[in-house]
Amino acid sequence: METLDLARLQFALTAGGHFVFVALTLGLATLIALVQTRAVLTGSAVHERMTRFWGRLYVVNYAMGIVTGLVMEFQLGMAWKGLSHVAGNVFGASLAMETIVAFFVESTFLGLWIFGWDRLNRWVHLAVFWVVALTAYASAYWVLVANGFMQNPVGAELSGGVLKLTDAAAVLANPAALTAFGHVMAASLVTAGFFLAGVSAYHLRRGTAEREFFRRSLRIGVFTGLPALAAVVAFGEMSFGTLQPLKGAAFDGTAADVARLQADAVAAFGPGDYVPPLGLVRGSGMAMLGLFSVMALVSLVSVVLALFPRAVLGLRAWHVLLVASVPLPFAAVLAGWVFREAGRQPWVVYGVLTTEEALSDLPPGLLVFSLTAFTVLFAVLLAVNGWLLARTARRGPDPAGSPGAPDAAPDLPSGSGAPVPAALF
Amino acid sequence: MEIALLAFFTAGYFVLSGADFGIGMLLPYLGRSPGERGRVLDAITPFFLTNEVWLVAAVGFFIGAFPTLEGELLTGHYAAFTVLLLGWVARDAGIWLRGRVDRAAWRTGCEAAVVAGSWAVALSWGFVLAGSAGAPPPLLAAAVVALAALFAVHGLALAALRLSGGPRERARRPFAAAGGRTAHAPTPGRTAYAPAPGRTAYALTSGGMVLVCLAAGSRLPLAENLADPATLALLTPATLVLTPLLVASQIWLWRVLGPVRAG
Repeated sequence: METLDLARLQFALTAGGHFVFVALTLGLATLIALVQTRAVLTGSAVHERMTRFWGRLYVVNYAMGIVTGLVMEFQLGMAWKGLSHVAGNVFGASLAMETIVAFFVESTFLGLWIFGWDRLNRWVHLAVFWVVALTAYASAYWVLVANGFMQNPVGAELSGGVLKLTDAAAVLANPAALTAFGHVMAASLVTAGFFLAGVSAYHLRRGTAEREFFRRSLRIGVFTGLPALAAVVAFGEMSFGTLQPLKGAAFDGTAADVARLQADAVAAFGPGDYVPPLGLVRGSGMAMLGLFSVMALVSLVSVVLALFPRAVLGLRAWHVLLVASVPLPFAAVLAGWVFREAGRQPWVVYGVLTTEEALSDLPPGLLVFSLTAFTVLFAVLLAVNGWLLARTARRGPDPAGSPGAPDAAPDLPSGSGAPVPAALF
Repeated sequence: MEIALLAFFTAGYFVLSGADFGIGMLLPYLGRSPGERGRVLDAITPFFLTNEVWLVAAVGFFIGAFPTLEGELLTGHYAAFTVLLLGWVARDAGIWLRGRVDRAAWRTGCEAAVVAGSWAVALSWGFVLAGSAGAPPPLLAAAVVALAALFAVHGLALAALRLSGGPRERARRPFAAAGGRTAHAPTPGRTAYAPAPGRTAYALTSGGMVLVCLAAGSRLPLAENLADPATLALLTPATLVLTPLLVASQIWLWRVLGPVRAG
């Protein structure tokens, strides 16, 4: 493989790995914030325990999102310096805002939330989690402003080989960013909804003693999933309106459409091959739509069944279906992401800079080294994290009447050498 | 102003996170038993995430305000940054995962990841900082060693402030030796500590970290590589307004965590 392929593969693996965790984190943040709000408003014990249990899964997942995110932030400069050279004035500034406005605050407030359970006033503690959730949205927004600019560079002018910002409002309100933001937020709610429903169904099928706890959680998941899917499709439709012509043709056009648009692109941008990888674009697009249909079917059935308390508690075939459906949204967001990013090729910033031009001048051996090392490290971490997430989910909430350890952070691993009570983790 | 902001975030990272890495490097020295090592890690666990976000912010501001230079610097030190990231991720994973499985082999593996990761990060920073300051090979090697030592001493200074018992005594010992005083051997029935280096040592090692950042940064062509004025007209004021809020949120966290003392 050439350096370009290696660098693209490395970025794809990092970004893809990051995105699956982020999809769950974003959606879970919303649901946890709502459940905690209810717990604080009504003083409901079961909602407080739900906040703690789903919050613990949130924290396990958040850790993986961070480490993959770190590698992504650095990789932009390390392997794709052309991107910061040419588009840094727009692209770089939105990433800067992401780190300063969003990620910094999100992490600090998450620390406050994790360690603040028994130290902060419960209203303050609730407000702290809302800050975490809102800054997570802000983070997604700024990242999609950067990505939207790569898809559809507006509000900037090329002068002397460098893009200069001319209209910040156009960049911030870029339709390619806003529709993607809505689409991703809705998809993350679908992911979290299916996750809640699936984990709850697992416990209900096994005849858990926590029937009230998981009955409520399952219903939250199911009743989130369906409207979120509707929002996914609505924003998805709008996103199709912002597709680059060749991405659209690669997805559902004829060979003649592709050839005609290729000729148009040559006329506009000079000689070159402007056709994205057809099989990948078409395959990922079909996978996204196919998975959507399956999820819509599961959701429709589930919403009806969730109206019957006896089905919620005892319809084991449905429980199996819900457990089996947990991976579907993850596969769908990955497919959607491949569709969006592979379909933009050969451009990194559409019509301005190709992926090849953006590549740093690096010897292939160096990339083989970093690609191998990151792949091995992330594969191990993904496996460990998936296992931990499943184990934490299987173990269920702490028994009622033991609201976390009094003086330890319930959700962060204690490094204490003393044996750790299993219930804490 | 952009240079000052970049320096602020970078120095904040080296002071706050640098001590976490120093403690990680010296974990086998500070903690002699699994229990002690657990208490040492307890002392940094609540803070390490909110300390390392300073670098995320620094790199974010770097790419926003000095995009061309960011690309050049990261590409120019590709190998060092790769090792740095690998070490950083391994260190973080070790801290996140250590307490999640109650098995001795698991904890030992996680501790090994913390130690190896911390060393990898400290040594890579030496290559990046001294390399970008244009040091020739012999000087580069000396600078890498010196910076790793600074990380370690800075970690000891924090450990001496925050730990207790045996780990604290071991953290204080090198300072006492450097001060020309001998550490007292603990006598049975009475815990004797070496004289407390306390806050002065931590302030000094923090100052050292800041100086290293400023020295390396002063060799970078920052002023020549500023982003376009139209971008900075938005980015810089926004960052200036937000920075006090970021600092305030971290101070709040430290106050909430105040009672968390290991040991």
